Amino acid sequence: MNREQFIDQLNRSLRRLPNEERLDIVQDFQEHFDIGLEKGKTEEEIAASLGSPAQIAKELLAVHYLDKAEAKTSAGNLFRAAWAAVGLGFFNIVIVLGPFIGLASLLLSGWAMGLSLLVSPLVVLLNLILSPKSFDLFASFASIGLAGLGILMSIGMSYVSRKALKGFVSYLRYNAKLVKGGLKHE
Amino acid sequence: MNIQFKKGVLELCVLVLLDKQDRYGYELVQTISEQIAISEGTVYPLLRRMTKEDYCTTYLRESNEGPSRKYYRLTDKGRTYLRQLKEDWQAFIHGVHQILREGVHDE
Repeated sequence: MNREQFIDQLNRSLRRLPNEERLDIVQDFQEHFDIGLEKGKTEEEIAASLGSPAQIAKELLAVHYLDKAEAKTSAGNLFRAAWAAVGLGFFNIVIVLGPFIGLASLLLSGWAMGLSLLVSPLVVLLNLILSPKSFDLFASFASIGLAGLGILMSIGMSYVSRKALKGFVSYLRYNAKLVKGGLKHE
Repeated sequence: MNIQFKKGVLELCVLVLLDKQDRYGYELVQTISEQIAISEGTVYPLLRRMTKEDYCTTYLRESNEGPSRKYYRLTDKGRTYLRQLKEDWQAFIHGVHQILREGVHDE
């Protein structure tokens, strides 16, 4: 692989990064080639010892998405960060995807429960509209009680979600640090 | 060698090299790869991460031989981190050494 091919492939693998950051990264490698050439190496030698541009890009993308997930925790960012971490290796499919799915389903079920409690008075109301004769004092009060429980649970869940997502992001960061192949893969 | 393990070692090497003096990327890569077999390109993602985590800062400096070079300078935070990594490393090496010696005795 020569210089142009290396830079080309790196550029292509990094196309999802913001332009400014991508150019900055490419500049680092241009500098590396420039100095290597001054020292009398050939483009091919330099490219060969740098390693695969795709692998380098993978590590750069993982770092980038983690920063983004940390700056603003949205579902999309978090998913992209998890996905980038998974991209670092098959090993990570178990280490990252497992906890991610577990955490996501736990949060989802918590929210579903809170919300369904919250709407229980509506069900009683609907029942009343459909068959006015079936009015049941106990059901009405019970549903209001349940709705109160639902409100508490939703508040609790939003707190838990925030904490859990934050925790997961730092887990990803730790994982990326640990798993990324910093040196030659053997 | 195990990948995770090498990763940590590479970070330690970069920190130690920067502790002595500011260096540019190519110089760091060459100095390390003279001693250890590495994919040289992976040093750059590591340097980016370390810069983002405020372990080092960068500046450009003209060179007599050609275009300007990006230099990396260790911050105080980086020095603290280096101290901690060094201690971890020494404890680790000591432990491994101990086990190796005892293994030899048993044979």
